[in-house]
Amino acid sequence: MTARSLLVVAATLASAIPYGHEDTKITKVHEELFVQEHVVRLRALRDVVAHAQQQQAVPAAPAQGESPYRIAGRLPVRIMDFKVEPATIEPGQTVTLSWWTENPASITIDPIGRVAPRGQQKLTPSVTTTYTLSVTGASNSSDKRSVTVVVKGTTARATPANASVAKAVPRTADGHPDFSGVYGYGAAGRGGPPPAPGSLPTTPVLKPGAEKFKVTRAADDTGQYSTCMPPGIPQSFFVPYYIQIVQAPKQIVIAHEYLNLHRIIPTDGRPHPPDPDPSWMGNAVARWDGDTLVVDSIGYNDKTEINGYRHTESLHIVERISRPSVETLQYEATIEDPNVFAGPWVVRRTFPLLPEYDAINEFVCENNRDYKPLFGK
Amino acid sequence: MKRYLFAIAAAMLLAAPVSAHHSTAMYEMANPTTITGTVKRFEWTNPHAFIYLDVKDDKGASVEWEIELMSLNHLRSYGWVRTTVKPGDQITCTGGRAKSGAPSMISALLKLPDGRELRS
Repeated sequence: MTARSLLVVAATLASAIPYGHEDTKITKVHEELFVQEHVVRLRALRDVVAHAQQQQAVPAAPAQGESPYRIAGRLPVRIMDFKVEPATIEPGQTVTLSWWTENPASITIDPIGRVAPRGQQKLTPSVTTTYTLSVTGASNSSDKRSVTVVVKGTTARATPANASVAKAVPRTADGHPDFSGVYGYGAAGRGGPPPAPGSLPTTPVLKPGAEKFKVTRAADDTGQYSTCMPPGIPQSFFVPYYIQIVQAPKQIVIAHEYLNLHRIIPTDGRPHPPDPDPSWMGNAVARWDGDTLVVDSIGYNDKTEINGYRHTESLHIVERISRPSVETLQYEATIEDPNVFAGPWVVRRTFPLLPEYDAINEFVCENNRDYKPLFGK
Repeated sequence: MKRYLFAIAAAMLLAAPVSAHHSTAMYEMANPTTITGTVKRFEWTNPHAFIYLDVKDDKGASVEWEIELMSLNHLRSYGWVRTTVKPGDQITCTGGRAKSGAPSMISALLKLPDGRELRS
């Protein structure tokens, strides 16, 4: 098999996997984007393709008609700046460490951990310490740079023997796991334990006569997300933007960067209010089942879609959220609507913790464009 | 070969795709367009950042191009900040042009005045 046919296989596999949006329309461009992003981010795939290219001597120059995102995916990573000021301090004094990288796939500073592509931190090292910025990117590109803070009268700190010791999941004062943090996008089928035998289906079955609830789109329909209307639950978790959780003793806030949507969910076991008004994000109440937060929600309007299906105001969703490790948030939603589906079905995602970010971004969808005129005739 | 296919399948299942919050079907992505011009204005905002670029046409007349970029979370992950592009900068953008022929495109990468190339 040639490298080119390997990429074709990769593209075919990509198209067979539910797209992150779970939109009903997957464009060829998205498939290409999907493939190139994996080439950038995943050493495994990159090594496979690089090996195949080496074997078949496929030219690295852009092919005719190549997606610009694929070209962009080959841009090498670089460190623009990495410095510490001041470089020499008295014990107890503070330094500012700052860094700037471009086109990175991963960035770490030893001994700090994962960091954002650009940033700065104030540090008070107790002894002379060397900080090493390491970045990796596309096309096997990488870069590394070190700076040392000299703390007068001390000797250099030895590198920790085992910096990768697993950290325990943090817990709140009342003993529950603390989900607080910023989490990244979780693709369909990403991570998580395999479903138990006999568990609910992951795709819906329409009840007889409910075919009208399946969404079909015209060629110039750019999808449910380009309208800037709230996608509801669980779709707000499926857009390629971050999530932030803020956990308090009796309530939990789940904030989505996308449209800056949020839910403030009581966790004290209270029931739903009688007959809640239909809304985009529903009425949610939660309780703890061991280390899993179980969120029960009703009171949805009928204006959203779930994985390509509309629903009625009888929608009922049960979400189970857990944090099996410091780095991951496990999410499962069981979806029921007796007017639409033959039975309940589930969707699952694993969201990676992004320790390098403190907060989600502002999102003002009124800045969005009307894309229809760009199609032309 | 089976080992490779398995690795690809595993990689696909493990990885997160990246995309805009809308389809790119309105842009001509199969035949990339590259244009050079001078930055008039830079909007650093979700859901998409935009550059308004002053581009000279064949007759030397100014045409304002609307350059759509990714969202802030993606741009930050490429190393962008709100001052990465400034009014007056001469930059080159590569991406897909609007199928309608309007001076509008989505840019996947651009070249800054000092020659640095950045994902966009």
